[in-house]
Amino acid sequence: MTFAGYIARNALRNKRRFFFTFGSVGVSLFLLTMLQVVLRGLTDPATTEEAALRVVVRHKVSLANMLFAKYRAQLEKMQGVRAVTKLLWFGGIYRDEKNFFPQFACDAGSLFQVLVEARLDPRQRDQFIHQRNACVVGIKTMERFGWRPGDRITLLGAMWPCDVELEIAGAYAGGLDETPLYFHHEYFDELIGDPGITGLLWVRAENAGAAAELPGRIDAAFANSSAETFTETESAFQIGFVSMLGNVRALIAAISSVIVFTLLLVTSGTMSMAVRERAKEIAILKAVGFDGTRVFGLIMAESFALALAGGMAACALAWLVVRIVDIRRLSRGLFVNFEVTPTIAAVSIAVAGVAGVLSCLLPAWSSVRRSVVDGLRTVE
Amino acid sequence: MRLPLKYNLRHLQVRWRSTMATVVLTALVVAVFVMVLSMARGLRSTYLSSGDPRNLLVIRKGALAESSSQVTLDEVRKVRFLDGIARARGPGVGGTEPMISPELIVVITLQRPSGGIAHVQVRGLGPMGAELRPDLRLVAGRRFEPGHRECIVSRNVARRFPECGLGRVFRSGRHEWKVVGLFDARKTAYDSEIWIDADEAREAFNRTFYGSMVLRPSDPSEAIRIRARIEEDKSMRLRVLTEQDYFREQTKTAAPIQILGTALAVVMSVGAAFAAMNTLFASVGARGREIGTLRVLGFRRRAIYVSFLVESVAVALAGGFLGGMMALPMNGLLTGMFNWSTFSEVAFEFRVTAGLLGLGLLFALMMGVLGGLLPARWAARRDILDALRGG
Repeated sequence: MTFAGYIARNALRNKRRFFFTFGSVGVSLFLLTMLQVVLRGLTDPATTEEAALRVVVRHKVSLANMLFAKYRAQLEKMQGVRAVTKLLWFGGIYRDEKNFFPQFACDAGSLFQVLVEARLDPRQRDQFIHQRNACVVGIKTMERFGWRPGDRITLLGAMWPCDVELEIAGAYAGGLDETPLYFHHEYFDELIGDPGITGLLWVRAENAGAAAELPGRIDAAFANSSAETFTETESAFQIGFVSMLGNVRALIAAISSVIVFTLLLVTSGTMSMAVRERAKEIAILKAVGFDGTRVFGLIMAESFALALAGGMAACALAWLVVRIVDIRRLSRGLFVNFEVTPTIAAVSIAVAGVAGVLSCLLPAWSSVRRSVVDGLRTVE
Repeated sequence: MRLPLKYNLRHLQVRWRSTMATVVLTALVVAVFVMVLSMARGLRSTYLSSGDPRNLLVIRKGALAESSSQVTLDEVRKVRFLDGIARARGPGVGGTEPMISPELIVVITLQRPSGGIAHVQVRGLGPMGAELRPDLRLVAGRRFEPGHRECIVSRNVARRFPECGLGRVFRSGRHEWKVVGLFDARKTAYDSEIWIDADEAREAFNRTFYGSMVLRPSDPSEAIRIRARIEEDKSMRLRVLTEQDYFREQTKTAAPIQILGTALAVVMSVGAAFAAMNTLFASVGARGREIGTLRVLGFRRRAIYVSFLVESVAVALAGGFLGGMMALPMNGLLTGMFNWSTFSEVAFEFRVTAGLLGLGLLFALMMGVLGGLLPARWAARRDILDALRGG
């Protein structure tokens, strides 16, 4: 029998204990993995080559303050700017408050020059651009409500004193977020009496170099105006959203440390039970010539393997959950970047491994130190 | 039916190490459960204690929050002169004025000391604004004077954002605001706000409208009449609700924390129950001879079953108790959370209530029962002879 076989047999010989320990370790590590996924989703938003070329211009005071629509023309003339669209969070209600999805008023003509990743049928795009009450909807939202091109929908204004009645021109796919609905800013202006404002300006730069220096130039251009701007890259903008949520990081760190501690308790409990049960065997191993180090290694390997198995199962489960559950919708579009990355899996498995090693130290050490005679005498 | 309870409880003492491990494990789960839910409790109770039952709030039809509501100057004028609004001495000389305050909520960003930005609600109030909220006390400094860029700040906000301390001047947009006073709003939602004069707010933040109106009817029957008159007027698209109802609607902000806390606790408890079962199975296995002896002494299978279940529950309850104690220091801790519908942060305290501690114990009890069922059944079912012969 090989060492590996011996270790595996030992780990599995009490099936029930193996199952419960495995389950318990698995659950703890599953939670740990999910928390990491959440943390990453919050602090490290997804980005693509296209998204990296975009910057977002908002009012310096806060997102809730409006910019002047006329800024768009000024931005378009700036060097390094390829396209600009106004973007205004409409926040309307479709039938019920629960049916939340993002809705923006935008400049139909330039939207797809900024959001270049979005793919849609050219005919649908032309219809959207030329029909004032038309809208385009992300494929995920289309599927969610079972909409088809040509359907008419009404969004009740919760933030704005107007309701918009839209005809769906088509669905787009591609890009980081496939849920928003876009409709004409002009239609919105018409409804609320053209106040000449908008929420954000979404700018696509000519190239990466321009994208890097545009924020500084834009903010300088509007300094000392009646609506000073704050410009940042698209991913910085998303991170900003998270920082306003409060100290999520501390909460997650606190819960994670509790989980790691429970993990240690569980594995060390199991290992001390296992070692106690096998006192006699361990004595025999030593009697037939295995030295302390080797006995120690055998116990440690068993503990390590058990924890590792739990860790891997947990990662697999987390991966499955992330694939199946539509977390973006549950979090109202906040978690765009939700994925069990290799790094996260590696961290979880490493935590499992370390917990496995740490938890066996005490029981293994005491059994190694115990004299053979003592061990043989133990009554099971 | 006699139970060998004494035996089981003595056993817990003798094997104190494994008992402690289970106790601590349960305690951690209960502590996380209670802590996260105490956040939700605190947030809810902040909103539920807000609002004067006598006051009515008027906002735009369809708006979900004061901050996204718009009320035109015309509408304010119309409502202001409706009959049935209580009167009080105004800030002017002599005479009384209707108790109505046109208000405007704007959201500004402040730097968190820990880094990042927070969205804080600024409320512009009419001259009657403070009169309508008698619960609120000024604890330092003086009230702001209309016509000046002055503000008073909730003590909580001042504590959380050093740039808003008494006497400080903070910048928002192109304007500087001097903090001339601190107020205490008795842990209501107003404790997350900065107050300024409504007309200053409109001017400084470029608004051609107000956000909402707060008014006090002279008596409850007038309240019904005023409400009907405003809502039936087709030229105004306004909605009237009591201030308390408005804040009650905001409690839904707590729902995600509630869900998070419960989900986290349920998943963790599964893990902990597994571990507890593990320990209990091992201890039942090792106690074969003792169980056999109990049976020989005349204890029935069912007695053994119940007694082992009690053992598991006792350990879990001890854990639940300890977990509650661990969560207790969180009580009163000040924190903040973002409210999507007002688009600003609401400050509140963790509330570890007696009810919540009870809920934690109940949760522990459930874990104890679930973790004990199978091992207890096994203990009860063991054959006497086998058990006596075995370890």
